[in-house]
Amino acid sequence: MSFSVMAWWQALLLLAAAAAAAVWLFRMKIRPPRVGVPTLFLWRRVLDEKREMTWWERVRRAVSLAATVLIAVALALAVTRPGPRRSADASRGRRLIVLDSSWSMLARAESGGTRWDRAVRMAHRLAAASGGADVALATTADGLVEGPSADTALIETAIDRVRPSGGESAPWPVVAGVDSVHFITDGALARSLDASVTIHSVFEAAPNVAITAFDARSAAAGAKAPEAFVAIANYAPAAQKVRLTITRDSTMIAERTVDLGPGEAGYQAFPIASGKGGRLLARVSAPQNALDVDDEASAWLPGGEPIAVTIVAEEPAAALARLLKDAPWVTPTFVTPAQYRQGRADVFIFDRWAPPAPPNRPALLLAPPAVAWLGTAGADEKAPHWIQPGSHPVLEGVDPLTLEIKRARGLQAPGLTVVAQSEKGTPLVVVADTVDRRLIALSFAVADSNLAFAHAFPVLIGNALEWLAQPSFGPSRRPGRMTLPGSTLRVTDHSGNAMPLVRAGGFAVVTLATPGLHLVEAGGARGVVAVNVGDPEVSNLGRSSLAGKGQPSDAASGAGGRPWWTYAVIGAFLLASIEWWTWQRRVTV
Amino acid sequence: MALRFEDDFLKKLEYLQVVSRRAFAGHRGADRRARKRGRGLEFADHRGYSAGDDFRHIDWKAYQRLGRLLLRLFDEEQDLPIYLFIDSSRSMAEPAKFDQARRIAAALCYIGLAHLDRVTLLPFDIKLGDETDPGRGKGRIFRVFEQLEKLETRGPTDLREAFKTFGNRTRQAGLAVVISDFLDPHGFEPGLKMLASMKHDVFAVHITSERDRDPGALGEVRFVDAETGELRDVDVTPSLAAAYGGAWHAHQVEVERFCGRYNLGYIRADAEQPFEHVILKTFRQGRFLQ
Repeated sequence: MSFSVMAWWQALLLLAAAAAAAVWLFRMKIRPPRVGVPTLFLWRRVLDEKREMTWWERVRRAVSLAATVLIAVALALAVTRPGPRRSADASRGRRLIVLDSSWSMLARAESGGTRWDRAVRMAHRLAAASGGADVALATTADGLVEGPSADTALIETAIDRVRPSGGESAPWPVVAGVDSVHFITDGALARSLDASVTIHSVFEAAPNVAITAFDARSAAAGAKAPEAFVAIANYAPAAQKVRLTITRDSTMIAERTVDLGPGEAGYQAFPIASGKGGRLLARVSAPQNALDVDDEASAWLPGGEPIAVTIVAEEPAAALARLLKDAPWVTPTFVTPAQYRQGRADVFIFDRWAPPAPPNRPALLLAPPAVAWLGTAGADEKAPHWIQPGSHPVLEGVDPLTLEIKRARGLQAPGLTVVAQSEKGTPLVVVADTVDRRLIALSFAVADSNLAFAHAFPVLIGNALEWLAQPSFGPSRRPGRMTLPGSTLRVTDHSGNAMPLVRAGGFAVVTLATPGLHLVEAGGARGVVAVNVGDPEVSNLGRSSLAGKGQPSDAASGAGGRPWWTYAVIGAFLLASIEWWTWQRRVTV
Repeated sequence: MALRFEDDFLKKLEYLQVVSRRAFAGHRGADRRARKRGRGLEFADHRGYSAGDDFRHIDWKAYQRLGRLLLRLFDEEQDLPIYLFIDSSRSMAEPAKFDQARRIAAALCYIGLAHLDRVTLLPFDIKLGDETDPGRGKGRIFRVFEQLEKLETRGPTDLREAFKTFGNRTRQAGLAVVISDFLDPHGFEPGLKMLASMKHDVFAVHITSERDRDPGALGEVRFVDAETGELRDVDVTPSLAAAYGGAWHAHQVEVERFCGRYNLGYIRADAEQPFEHVILKTFRQGRFLQ
């Protein structure tokens, strides 16, 4: 047997002390209440004659003493909370406590508090019961958080500090030299664990309503307006009315009440009227709803905020001007080189001209002249053959075989990456993707090719502008790690907090832990990434991978999910009540 | 406690009379037949005329018939001495008991005064207290009320000692009414026997109380004897409490049987019973009042 909150000898000492105190209190002579009687001689007459005591009169004091000791021991057990010994090493040696930090741990339990609250209490008990051995604290999202350390206060402070943050895909935390591993989880996400891991369940089924998917897409060909798609699910055992609202920036654009049966999911589509603002927020509410974090979902409407493009040219190519004027998601401005100023656009297009200093915004350069900041110009190649399509996002969907280029002058510089070149090796398309510079350069002008008449022209320009203006975009995603371009300067969450970036191999990796819209800044460009928690695995709070798998049950829980020691307290209370009641009626006096 | 009775109740009391099973010699004329022959209205007997007898009482019709001078004798009608003993020991300290005892004493006193009897009020505990002789006539009842209101419980009970003092003080026999709970540690028998031996017609009014039967204490308690202040720690179990109830009941029966055996009048008056019921029904059923 082991004890949750103290060493075995301390617990046994407490139990013995409680029993001894109960006996002492029981046997202690208290001053009896004074009762006046007219005379004692009648009482004396009764007391002096020998009476045969009933069986109950003979045993009543022993029964009362036993009940008193039982009450004291039950209360002491509720404090010490003994449980079955896990293994020979479980109660001693280095201990690793792993808290399941998935979002489902924030579910409110019917018995009060959240699963996370119960997990934290359990972690505190496990840390306190370490008996002075080293304890390490880890979460499934953050890995090792604290320790290993014998300083219980340090571990307990860390336990209070950690919060659920998803991390479903994070690797299992490993700490060297650990003798016992305790995993406190609700089992919402199935994990393959070593058999030696002791699982403590905080699972308690709860009804919930969630947004399991939310996204928006720009108007497809033939569609009148962009659309938002929402998937909502009712994971409650009863049907309920779910209220769904969608707001664009701060304006509510849709509101519906949906009847969903138990376990039913519903899909809703909403047309989004023209207007400004790309931030969409969906929200659901229902009477039986135990988890809040999946009640909101964000999405970014592509084109919701048009890209401001400034075209700098003595005389811009007519095809380019026509293309940009017709694109609804672009706001073009045409200026001459003399009118050019830094920082007045989301993206610059320099047509056959280059500024003397590098622009502070992403730029698309068409047949730029040689300038120092851009690199050195190579030799001209006449009628270069572009046969390899390339794999860069800028070239996605571009068919080079339909292009006929009369003349190209390649650029070469250390910071430039060639993403398309001619058969002879002349760079045709180069990109720069660094923290301070994000640009694409075509080594040929529109006029020097049939680009203006080719199908690839709008695709290439569109790809280029999107890539330049939005370092990261795409559908809503789940919390977790995200790989961003190496040019990523900063990622901030919806509260404006900068997220830590890890740079490796020309990429930046960020862990998007909190739900909401995240702003990605790279090379002067800005993009938005929507992160949503809603997921059937997270939001279905009536399901647990622990059920029916023979996993060790929670040592501190009773059959009903309630900690067993509460039954000890209830038992003590009942015994005390019976004792009091019988005392009132002098059954056990 | 205010000892004041309603006028209606007083009128009812006036119709009642204390019944004495024997005739006693009184001091003054009243409406109660005495042992002596005298100047009453009711014919009693004849005797031969002697010189000096009042010839107004010669029965001339008997002389005509018998030729002898016979004197007509009449019953003397005198007052009845009534001694009202009221137990004022600490065992009577329970308000309901003591109030009942004082009310009964006051009512009997009024009945006696209304019939011109000579009523003496005698409180007692371990010894006999100061007696109150209110005089004659029902107008004196207020003095009795006043005395009873002033009466306080004190000391232990000793019936024998109190009645011994009474015997030394009083020589005229009469009706002795003892109003008490008869909880005398020395025993109630010697006292009552002594009173009866003084040729008094003794009547015991036994004041009982439910609280005496069941003090309502269970568990470990410390009993305090109201009279002696003696302490006794007792673990009162339900069966012990029942045994005490039995002992208490046996004591009641013991008092009643003793009175029957020695031809003493006995009436039990519960403290919880309505007072008017005790006087108008219980006392009449016990043939103490008519």
